Amino acid sequence: MRKTLEMTGEYCMLMLKVFQKPEKWRIFFRQCVVEAQKLTLDSVPLISVISIFIGAVAVIQTVNNLESPFIPKMYVGYMAREILVLEFCSTMVALILAGKIGSNIASEIGSMRITEQIDAMDIMGVNSANYLILPKIASSVVLSPFVMLSSFVIGLLGGAAIIAATGAVTMAQYVEGLQFAFKMHYVWYSIAKMAIFTFIITSLASYFGYYAKGGSLGVGRSSTKAIVAISILILVFDLVLTKLLL
Amino acid sequence: MISVKNLYKEFDGRTVLNNISIDYKEGECSLIIGASGSGKTVLLKNLVGLHTPDSGEIWYDNKQFTTLKEKQKKELRKEMGMLFQGSALFDFATVEENIMFPMDFFTEWSYEEKLERANFCLKRVNLENANKKYPNELSGGMQKRVGIARAIALNPKYLFCDEPNSGLDPTTSIVIDHLIQEITQEYNITTIINTHDMNSVMEIGDKIGFIYKGEKLWEGSNREILHSDCKELNDFVFASNMAKQLKALMK
Repeated sequence: MRKTLEMTGEYCMLMLKVFQKPEKWRIFFRQCVVEAQKLTLDSVPLISVISIFIGAVAVIQTVNNLESPFIPKMYVGYMAREILVLEFCSTMVALILAGKIGSNIASEIGSMRITEQIDAMDIMGVNSANYLILPKIASSVVLSPFVMLSSFVIGLLGGAAIIAATGAVTMAQYVEGLQFAFKMHYVWYSIAKMAIFTFIITSLASYFGYYAKGGSLGVGRSSTKAIVAISILILVFDLVLTKLLL
Repeated sequence: MISVKNLYKEFDGRTVLNNISIDYKEGECSLIIGASGSGKTVLLKNLVGLHTPDSGEIWYDNKQFTTLKEKQKKELRKEMGMLFQGSALFDFATVEENIMFPMDFFTEWSYEEKLERANFCLKRVNLENANKKYPNELSGGMQKRVGIARAIALNPKYLFCDEPNSGLDPTTSIVIDHLIQEITQEYNITTIINTHDMNSVMEIGDKIGFIYKGEKLWEGSNREILHSDCKELNDFVFASNMAKQLKALMK
């Protein structure tokens, strides 16, 4: 308990260092572009593949569970849409990103810590936390709606593809289901969740990397700890945000 | 000039530095020597502000470092350069980008001006035609040279070197030592070198402070070290049998 409190305090102190005015805006924006490419855009292929398959699987499972002739077939599209928008495109994608981005950030910053590169920046008078972490958080959070929406659209396309391939329901029924009782609020809810999860992923992974110690083993340990902590926090915040926003 | 007065530091109740007082003058290579775990790295880290001493004073000319506000410390740090044990070059940057890194932050120079300065620094450390290489493409000695070039990029008043010879062969070590000494004298820098390499001690030790179990036991020049009566120092300097025989012969 005491250790958790200490870590929370340490995390807050780090965030105070992170959220300061950048030394030079030009350098900050340049780093944002680099991090956007590395963290978000490079993750799109992985997210796309997973979204296609999850969309397709959601459709197949719904078709199998809607055998009653009294339930209209268009509900297949409706169910797939709701599964994707409410939970998969934010929470599940965030958990996937926690593994990919989280370990990437924690190991990158951790390696810089143990090879004294962060000390070198501090001695130069550069705010290392601000230079290394803020662009990661800013670019990832700003692009998180794009990640969520692309996952949503690609998931729906995956559903359409499996319908086209199997003919389980007609495309017209599927599209009708997608449009049925559509609530824009769910999309905003999912975007908000994704933005918060992205902040958790980038900031916590940076925290564990920034305070890594104990050589290469320590970097590995901090990376593992980061992913475990991020995954748990995502699930906790999922519950809290769902209660608050829905 | 850097003055350390009654510096004290402990970790988890264990005293690591005890009442250290020493002065370092500009234009001199001052060495901190001592066995592994004696506290010399902690002393260096206190000097550059990576650790905060529990008590004592560190004066940079007329500024007391430990009582400065963060903004003032940042200003002072612009006058410091540091060469790390493992060079600490940024993996994500090429050699020239490494050297231009502090210039990007603290100067308004154009790219051409920064490049000119980077080339000058690289020429000064006898490392030309390596601008576009990444640190992992360089040998240990070349990495140290780039580290020195980066450390002098903004004309520092204070240069700190943490075990600059570790991992280098004796010939390359001497070259690096001489380079540090030349730069120190040329730009009148206050240079503090943390080492346990006896070749460095004899070669460039204008002033040497011997740290033993967190205390400064001895202070003097590389000439005086050979004739010291300090038992702990002699045990450290003349550790091998051959060195002990040489010492006996000298007597």
